Amino acid sequence: MTLRLDGVRFRHPGSRTWALDGLSLAAPAGAVTWLAGPLGAGCSTALLVAAGLAPRVTGGIREGTVRLWHADPGAGGLVGRLAYVTANPAHQLSGVAETVWQEVAFAPANLGWPVERIRAAVDAALDRLGLAALHARDPRTLSGGELQRVVLAAMLVLAPAAWLLDEPASALDAAGRDALAGLLRSEAARGAVVVVASADADWMAGVADQLVVVRAGRAVLAGAPAALLAGEAIWADGGPGSTSVAALARAVASRAPGPRTAPPWPVDVASAVARWR
Amino acid sequence: MTALRFRDVGFRYPGAARPALEALAFALAPGEAAGVFGANGAGKSTLLRLAMALLHPTAGTVEVLGEATDGRAPEDLAGPVALAFQQPEAQLFATTVRAELAFGPAQLGWPPARIAARSTEVLARLGLEEVAERHPYDLPLPQRRLVALGTALVTGPRLLLLDEPTAGLDRAHRALVATVVREACADGAAVLAVTHDPAFAAEALDRALTLDGGRLVADEPAERWLRDGSAGALPPPPAILVARGLGLPAGIRREAAIAEAVASRLLGRG
Repeated sequence: MTLRLDGVRFRHPGSRTWALDGLSLAAPAGAVTWLAGPLGAGCSTALLVAAGLAPRVTGGIREGTVRLWHADPGAGGLVGRLAYVTANPAHQLSGVAETVWQEVAFAPANLGWPVERIRAAVDAALDRLGLAALHARDPRTLSGGELQRVVLAAMLVLAPAAWLLDEPASALDAAGRDALAGLLRSEAARGAVVVVASADADWMAGVADQLVVVRAGRAVLAGAPAALLAGEAIWADGGPGSTSVAALARAVASRAPGPRTAPPWPVDVASAVARWR
Repeated sequence: MTALRFRDVGFRYPGAARPALEALAFALAPGEAAGVFGANGAGKSTLLRLAMALLHPTAGTVEVLGEATDGRAPEDLAGPVALAFQQPEAQLFATTVRAELAFGPAQLGWPPARIAARSTEVLARLGLEEVAERHPYDLPLPQRRLVALGTALVTGPRLLLLDEPTAGLDRAHRALVATVVREACADGAAVLAVTHDPAFAAEALDRALTLDGGRLVADEPAERWLRDGSAGALPPPPAILVARGLGLPAGIRREAAIAEAVASRLLGRG
């Protein structure tokens, strides 16, 4: 069971250029797939298209095929099975819930779940995201990071078969990042498709099973994160670049060229220290 | 004159069970760049809103550029003080990026030629020339964040307030924002930045204010945060951990300086 994009092109309404220009990728169930690219490369648009929101909700033109379990998400019909999390959590609130608990219960209630099931699932999701203490708060009074966790809980409650997340950790504190990394790993282990678009290589390097590098609306590199992050190709043509440690290694190599500093770059702290000690 | 002074400031949102901020006391000098660290919900964004007079303290006094914010509105401060929000949409409403940047200076009565020249300068600095005629809402969120930063920079503020300025940005643009902050400080501006980005903090900030449950629990030079902060609100960035692991002298904090020290050691000069 896989999310597949084949030769997908997408043009935003009113735009003359293709935001996606022949994007092909496969995100298998049971793995965390990481989309990375320079600013404006199309990672966020790829998630919108994969979720079926573009063009159905956004407008615009799509070509090529998108398949999630042989269905086209663009046709709708995956409500409650597919969790799309936008980069701007404030945009994802229902706007009708007066408490965090009601916000997380919003989708299950609209799907007509029995009340006992809603109660159990909402309490479990709030616990999982560390939100139990905030359950009675008005969502509109929460901080950016708290809001990001509420939006994640509102998706987790549905036990979705596929997650599509756009910069889900951008407002989270260190503890929140660790917790979200654990959540994504366990959702993949449960058998979900998990796709994350993120520019935070230091965080994603420890989370992802597969990395797809997107430039100008096209997948240009794909493979195991460790190998791609240690290589030089991820820095070409505007990036996106790799981890902070790999960036440091490139800066060291430019100052002290030689076999001890040549690529493959160390990607994490321990390997850099071992190499330069 | 201090750029920003909090005198025993407390703030409680209407109807809230407990204050969002309590007994906050610190001052920020011109040319100083301080970070505000803390867990989600610690009161960081509330602190910035108080400094912009979007909120007013329920205890104590907030002084901005020497004057208390009592009875003043954000528009009374705008120009000399600027805030880039965590959600850029909160401040973007013009139909082109260029018009967005021109709005603030126009409200301040700048002559059109000066507005045009300064907008062009800021657009170039942030790499936004190519999208200058685009609608801000047609841009990807990270680029909207840069536009919001541009609207804050364009009036050349003496106090620059930034809420998560690097969130969602790619590596090249995170580095650009750090450089822009350093330039603003070199120019005499005071910068207060809420951030969860340790690499940006190490690169751009001189001082670390840590909030916990609405209280200021640490106010220290960046060097001390980087040396001792391991279990704190913001972990030190990976480059610092490499420097520590190699036993490089404490106090080297920018990536370029760490690279230089590592290279010297490998070349047998260190």
